[in-house]
Amino acid sequence: MSGQATAIEREERRLARWLVAPALVFILLGSLVPIAATAWEALHGHDLRLPWLGRPFVGLANFVEAIGDPRFTSALLHTVGFAAITVPLELGLGLALALIMHTARRGRALIRLAALLPWAIPTVVAALVWRFMFDAQAGIITAPLRTLALVGESFDWFVHPLAAWVPIGAADIWKTTPFVAILLLAGLQTIDPALHEAAQMDGAGAVRRFGTITLPLLRPALVVAAAFRMLDALRLFDVAYVMTGGGPGTATEPLSLYAFIALMQRLRFGYGSALSVTVFLLTFAFALIWVRTLGRSLVGDRT
Amino acid sequence: MKCSVRLWLVVVLVAAWATACGERNGTTRLTFSGSALGPEAVVLRRQLLRFGERHPGIEVELRVTPDAADQRHQLYVQWLNARAPDPDVLQLDVIWTAEFAGAGWILPLDPFALDADDFVPAALAASRWRGRLYAVPWFVDVGLLYWRTDLLAAPPRSLSELREAARRLRNAGTTRFGLVWQGARYEGLTTVFLEHLGAFGGGILDAQGRVTVDEPAAIRALTFMCDAVSLDGFVPSSVLTWQEEQTRFAFQNGDAAFMRNWPYAWGLLQDGARSQVANRFAVAPFPAEAEGRPTAALGGAQLAVNAWSANPALAWALVRFLTAPEQMLERARLATQLPSRRSLYDTAELTEALPIPIEQVRQMLDAAVPRPVTPVYSELSEILQVRLHRALSGQQTPEAALREAAREIRALLARSGLASEEETP
Amino acid sequence: MRSVGSKVTGVAGAALLTLLLFPIYWMIASSLTPESRLFQSPPLLPSTLSLDHYRALFDERDFLIPIRNSLVVAATTTMVALPVAALCAYALARLRFRGRGVLLALILAVSMFPQISIVPPLYLILRELRLLDTYPGLVLPYVTFSAPLAVWLLTAFFRQLSPELEEAAMLDGASRLRALWDVVLPLAVPGVATAAILTFLYCWNEFLFALSFTLGPERYTVPVAVTLFRGRYQVPWGQVLAATVVATVPVALLVLTCQRRIVAGLTAGASKG
Repeated sequence: MSGQATAIEREERRLARWLVAPALVFILLGSLVPIAATAWEALHGHDLRLPWLGRPFVGLANFVEAIGDPRFTSALLHTVGFAAITVPLELGLGLALALIMHTARRGRALIRLAALLPWAIPTVVAALVWRFMFDAQAGIITAPLRTLALVGESFDWFVHPLAAWVPIGAADIWKTTPFVAILLLAGLQTIDPALHEAAQMDGAGAVRRFGTITLPLLRPALVVAAAFRMLDALRLFDVAYVMTGGGPGTATEPLSLYAFIALMQRLRFGYGSALSVTVFLLTFAFALIWVRTLGRSLVGDRT
Repeated sequence: MKCSVRLWLVVVLVAAWATACGERNGTTRLTFSGSALGPEAVVLRRQLLRFGERHPGIEVELRVTPDAADQRHQLYVQWLNARAPDPDVLQLDVIWTAEFAGAGWILPLDPFALDADDFVPAALAASRWRGRLYAVPWFVDVGLLYWRTDLLAAPPRSLSELREAARRLRNAGTTRFGLVWQGARYEGLTTVFLEHLGAFGGGILDAQGRVTVDEPAAIRALTFMCDAVSLDGFVPSSVLTWQEEQTRFAFQNGDAAFMRNWPYAWGLLQDGARSQVANRFAVAPFPAEAEGRPTAALGGAQLAVNAWSANPALAWALVRFLTAPEQMLERARLATQLPSRRSLYDTAELTEALPIPIEQVRQMLDAAVPRPVTPVYSELSEILQVRLHRALSGQQTPEAALREAAREIRALLARSGLASEEETP
Repeated sequence: MRSVGSKVTGVAGAALLTLLLFPIYWMIASSLTPESRLFQSPPLLPSTLSLDHYRALFDERDFLIPIRNSLVVAATTTMVALPVAALCAYALARLRFRGRGVLLALILAVSMFPQISIVPPLYLILRELRLLDTYPGLVLPYVTFSAPLAVWLLTAFFRQLSPELEEAAMLDGASRLRALWDVVLPLAVPGVATAAILTFLYCWNEFLFALSFTLGPERYTVPVAVTLFRGRYQVPWGQVLAATVVATVPVALLVLTCQRRIVAGLTAGASKG
C-alpha cells in the first residue's frame, strides 16, 4: 500500500514540475535574472554615451558616488518621507471608508462602485486630472482659495518646493485609499456580528467596541494593507513624473524617477543601475522588517 | 472550454496582424528628421520633393521633431541609443555632433569624398571627432550685435565703448534698456558667455583640452556681465529669464539700444508692420577688449547619417543633395539661413539672396568660434549654465562660480576619460 | 441612538461619495468645455458643451493608435499569462511537491518588485534582440509582472473548489491533466475571468515599462501617449482631458460590469491567498 502511495506521489511530483515550469521560467527570465543583472551592472562603469570607456568593473564606486551625490540623498529622503506620510493617511481614510461601507444600509453598492473607479483608472490619468484641478490659473482647487485670499494672486502649487508635494499626495491618496478600504472591508466582514451584540448587551459603547473588538480583529487585514501600500509608495514614479517631473528643481524627485533619468536620459547605465538597486534594497528591507515583526503569522499559515 | 480556445486563437491572430501591419514595405523609403517651422519648413519640403523627383522609386518622409532644441536632443538620444534604423538622415545642432559621433550613433563620412575645403572652417571643426568627419555643415548661425543707427553713428569698437554708450543712452532715458542678451538658464546663456570670454581673450577649454574657465580672463568676462546687470544696470535683470524671442521683442519695440542675437532676427526686425526699428539698425561683431578678439558664437545645423540606417549610400545622396550650393542659396533666400560653403560668399546670387549686407556676414563668419567640441558638451554646458546663473543673480561671486564650474567640468572630463594628459590625476 | 448613528454614516457616506467621484465628474465636464472657457473661473456646471476636444483627439492626434497598441498588448499578455498562471496555480493548490512554500514566497516577492530595478538589463536585452518599440518587447515584462498576481489569485480559487469532482473523474480513469481540463477549469471560470480582468487592468495602466521600451507614437500605449502630448509652449488641456476620459472608458466598463468579481479578486489576492 505504501509503495503504491509513493508511486502516486512520485507521479504527482513529476506532473507538478511540468505544471510549474512555464511560470518559473517567466519568473526567472523576467525578474530574478534581470534583478541579478541590474546588481551586476551597478558594479560597472557603463555610460552608453561614452562607449570608448568600455564597461570596466568598478566595485562599489557607483554606490560611493551616490552617497556623495546630494540629488540622491534628497531623492531617498523624498521617497521615504512620501511613504511615511501618505500611507498612514491612506490607512486612516481607508478604515473610515470601510466602516461606512460596512454599516451603510443603503447605497452600499454605489459606494463600492465609486471606490473601485479611482482604484481602477490608470495612475497617469489620476495624476493628470489632479494636476489640472491644482492648476495655478483656473484649477477648481486653486481658484476658490485665491478668491478667499488664502493664497496670493500669483500662487502656483508647482513652483514651491514643499507645496508641490500637496497635489502629488492628494492624487496618490485619492487613487489608493479605495484599495485599502476594500481590503479592510473584507476583514470587517469576517468579524462575527455576535461579538458586537454581546458586547453591546454588556453595555459597551460604539467607541469601546471599535477599540476592543473591531481593531484587534482587523489587525491582520491592516498589516497586509499597510505592507501593500508601503511597497507601492516606496517605488513612487508615475504620479511624480506626470505632475511635476520632479520639479521645481529636483524638490519632488523620488528615487525611482532619479534612477529613470540617470538611465534613460543620461544613459549612465552603471550609475543608474546602482540607483535602481537602491530602490530594490529599500523595498526589500521594508518587506523583511515587516514580515519579521508583524507578519510572521500571516505568511506562516499560507504555506 | 472549446469556445474560449477559439477566442484565444482569434486574439492571437489579431495581435499577429497588428504586428505585421507596422512592417509593410513598398518603395524604398528614406526618413529625414529636423525642425520644420515657418519658412524653414517650406524650403525643406520643397527640396525633399525635388530629391524624390530626381531619384525615382525613392520616397523621402519628413519626420517633424519638437522645435525646442533640448526636446529634440532627448528624442534623438532615445532613438539612436535604441539603434532604431530610422530616421536615416538627422539634422543636428553643431554642439551634438561630437556626442553622437563618440557614442557611435552616426556614420563616419570620410569614405564618401566630400569637398571639405569649401566649408566654413569653424563649422567643419565642429563636424569632426577624433580626426574623422561625421557630419556636413548645412547652415551656419553666428552671434551678432544689433545696434541702432538712429542713436549712434558707428558701432562700439570695444566692450568699454559698448558699456559707455549703453549706459549713456539708458541714463539719458533715450531707451529703457542699454543692452539685452539671453540670460535664462539654457544653452543661450553659454553662447553669450562664450562671446564675452573671447572678448577678454579667454575660453572654456584651451587647444589641449584643458579647462581654462577659471582663469583671470574668464573671471573678468563674467565680472563684466555681472556688473552690467547689477552695478552698471545697462542690462536689465529680467534678462535672467529671457531667451532669444524676449530680447527680440525688447529691441523691436525700441526699448533697447543694443541686442545680442542670431541672424534670423534681421528679417523680423525689418518687418515695418510689427517693428518700430525697421531700417534703423545694423549689425556688427560683438566687440572685444584689447586683450581679446571679437567673437561670435558659432551655431547652426549639420546633417548626419544614422549608424543603423538600412540605406547609408542613399542617405548620403540626400545629405549631398541638401548641402549642394543650389539648395543652400534657396535656403538663404527663403529662410535667411547662412550657407556653410565659403565659395558662395563670392557669388552675386548670395549677395542678392541675403537681406544682410554680405561684407558684414563675412566679417562675422571670420569671428566665429565653435563651442567646445566634446561628446560631453551637454553636461558641460549645463554645469556652466547653473553657475553663470548663480553669479548673475548675485548668489555667488564670479570667482567662486567659475572655480566651482571648472572643478565640476574637470571631474566630468576625468570621469569620461576626456581630460587632457596634464590634468589626469 | 441608532438613527443618529445611521444619519452620521449617511452624511459621511455622501461626503465620501462626492470626494471619490468629483475628480471623475470634473474630468468629464472639463473635457466637454471649449478651450476658451477652460481657464476662466470654472463654474461647477458647464454651460456650453462641445465635442471639439474629442474631435481633435481622433482627427489630429490619431488617438486610435495608442488605443490599438494598448489593446493588443493587454490582450496578448492576458492570453499568455493566464494559461501559465493557471497550470502553476493548480499545482500549488492540489499537488504536493518539494519547494512549494519557497515558490509561493517567490511569487509573492516578485509581484512586489519595484519595476525600475529591472529596467536596465531588460532595456539592454531588448535592444540586443531588436525588440525595443515592438509588442513582444512589452508583453514579455508584462507577463512577468502580471503572472504572479494571477497565480496567487487562481491558487486561492482552486483551493475553494471541492477536490471530490476531479477525484471522481480520476477514478473513472481520467488523468490529472484531463481532470483539470474537463472538470476543474469549467468550474474555475469565474476565477479565471477575475484573473483576466486584473491582468488586463494592469496592462492598460502600466506606465514605466511602456515609457522605457517604446520609442515613438507608433508604439506608445495609452498612458504614455496621454502623458507625452504636450504642446510646444503649453499643455493642450482640453485634449489631454478628453484623452483621459477615453482612457478611463474601458476601465469604467469593466468596473461597472464586474465589480463583484474585482472585489473578490482583490481580497483573495491580498488576504486569503
